[in-house]
Amino acid sequence: MSTTNTPSGTASSPSRSGILARAENIRCVYGGGEEDFTAVDGVSIELGEGEILGLAGESGCGKTTLGNALAMIATPPLYVLSGTLEIDGETIDLSTLQPSDLKRHRPYRGRTVSMLPQGAMNSISPTLRISSLVRDVMRAHDPKITKDEALDLARERLKMLDMPVRVLDSYAHQLSGGMKQRMITVISTLQNPRLLIADEPTSALDVSSQRMLVEMLLEMVQQGIMSGVVFVTHDLPVLSQVSDKLAIMNAGSIVESGPTRQLVENAQHPYTRKLLSSVLDPSQETRRRGVARRSTTTEEVGTP
Amino acid sequence: MNLGRYIAQKTVWYLVALVAAVGLNFLLPRLVPGNPVDVIVSNLSRGGSVTSEQQKQVYESYVQEFGLDQSLWAQFLTYLGKVFTGDLGTSFAYYPASVNDLVGQALPWSIAVQLPAILIGWILGNVVGAIAAFRGGNWDRSVFTSSLFLSAMPYYCLSILLLYGFAVVAGIFPVGGAYSLGLTPEFSLSFIWDAVSYYWLPFLSLVVVFIGGQAVGMRSMAIYELGGDYVNYARAMGIRDNKITQYIFRNAMLPQITGLALAIGTLVGGALITELVFSYPGVGTLLFNAISANDYPVIQAVTLIITVAVLVANFAVEIVYGIVDPRIRAAKSGEK
Repeated sequence: MSTTNTPSGTASSPSRSGILARAENIRCVYGGGEEDFTAVDGVSIELGEGEILGLAGESGCGKTTLGNALAMIATPPLYVLSGTLEIDGETIDLSTLQPSDLKRHRPYRGRTVSMLPQGAMNSISPTLRISSLVRDVMRAHDPKITKDEALDLARERLKMLDMPVRVLDSYAHQLSGGMKQRMITVISTLQNPRLLIADEPTSALDVSSQRMLVEMLLEMVQQGIMSGVVFVTHDLPVLSQVSDKLAIMNAGSIVESGPTRQLVENAQHPYTRKLLSSVLDPSQETRRRGVARRSTTTEEVGTP
Repeated sequence: MNLGRYIAQKTVWYLVALVAAVGLNFLLPRLVPGNPVDVIVSNLSRGGSVTSEQQKQVYESYVQEFGLDQSLWAQFLTYLGKVFTGDLGTSFAYYPASVNDLVGQALPWSIAVQLPAILIGWILGNVVGAIAAFRGGNWDRSVFTSSLFLSAMPYYCLSILLLYGFAVVAGIFPVGGAYSLGLTPEFSLSFIWDAVSYYWLPFLSLVVVFIGGQAVGMRSMAIYELGGDYVNYARAMGIRDNKITQYIFRNAMLPQITGLALAIGTLVGGALITELVFSYPGVGTLLFNAISANDYPVIQAVTLIITVAVLVANFAVEIVYGIVDPRIRAAKSGEK
């Protein structure tokens, strides 16, 4: 991974391994009319083999939009005006201006770049068995594969990750939130994608489920199921544990990026420092400071 | 996921509904003011040749024969016993014709119009609505506007408009009836060909309104489902559009299946009036004539058939709903 800041908000840094993917000059707008809202403004990123890139920033900064552009699932009113993704020696034009662009990208989705979505809780059709979704995902890229072959692969993957095989026979409503999220993670990686875009995968989970999912993702990267992950979240503590590299987004641009430890300990950009200082510290010291501040305020205002 | 338990529960509820419907079916015609025997006797004495003594004898004879001198409870028990043995009684107005014969002659005509109208209307309406949602643009706007217009139109209004336009003005179709005068209903090619020309207008007046209502509902549901997380995820996994369309269609169908159950009742009611407009010899016309003559047995038989038809249709729809949506099946069968 390499980082350099350019006027358009490009981020790159020296890679510790070979380059897996390079996305350049991604520009996304919402609207499509004269009053377009620019959500991602000329962002470029690089990801090395086996790396996890953490993409952080406050709500509305363009993280999810960038993730959608990279996963090639932008649909109106979101338009990708420009951008390329270089992966496995192939350069993919990410721009989606016509409905036909979505069809053009279909062969890459799920296999070259896969998505672990923000709304994973509702990502399975309520009237569909998990096994049917598995079959459809596998057949999307290999029309000749039989249902049994597809399910065998899924069973093998579940066993490898110490997950119960019987979930394949379930419907979404029969699974807990954590199990559903992990199942979606398995399905998203069934095709052994080169790059996984994980968009806030832990945001709706309790802490124990968060931990299980993060450990599962790390294990998958270690086992080579996918070659790299772009982990999108506003949860900086999670990112600091998971990612090799952090990129901080603000108002559609990457304002700073670098190795996670270096960036957390020695942030240069004022926005990065502000974002890092906004993380709540659960220690008693913080609680005492908060109580003291409230007391001061009460004294200033006066008691009835 | 216990489908058997789900079906058993539904069966019990529908049997309770059937018993309640049979009770109301017996009671309601008797709450109508007037006595059917009065109508029969007054018809007999129209010529002036029947003396008052003869009128009295005829009156008493009819009252005794129809059991109207018994208590309401005794009449109900007699009615129940006959219903469960398939005997719908004797018509007051067409005495001594049996109600079974009268209904047997009228029912095929009504089924021939209503069943295809329900099935074709529901399938076409849903397909048109789904296509409008997927294609969007001008196609969607024109389908939505015309469907909304049609669905808001009462069946009898469209019946009258079609009758005026295609039968009275253009003369393309016959004005009324089910077959040409002089013909006798039979299973011959010439008779069926003749009956088909009378069939189109009542059929169209039902099916067009039904298509409109179903298309509006399906379009709204499909548009809602298109924005679902599962659609975006399926797309992100590279699943083909036709497969994603199947997901959407299946989920959007759920409220439409409920809508079908509700619409069947409306359609059956609408069809009765449509039959009157076109002088179609179905159960609608039979019921109208029976109400005019206080013909209790016929009224009861027709309303019983309609009630049973609606209950059976709703029961079938509930079973299909349980099969299509596993959440409903789980919730209704008490699955944990």
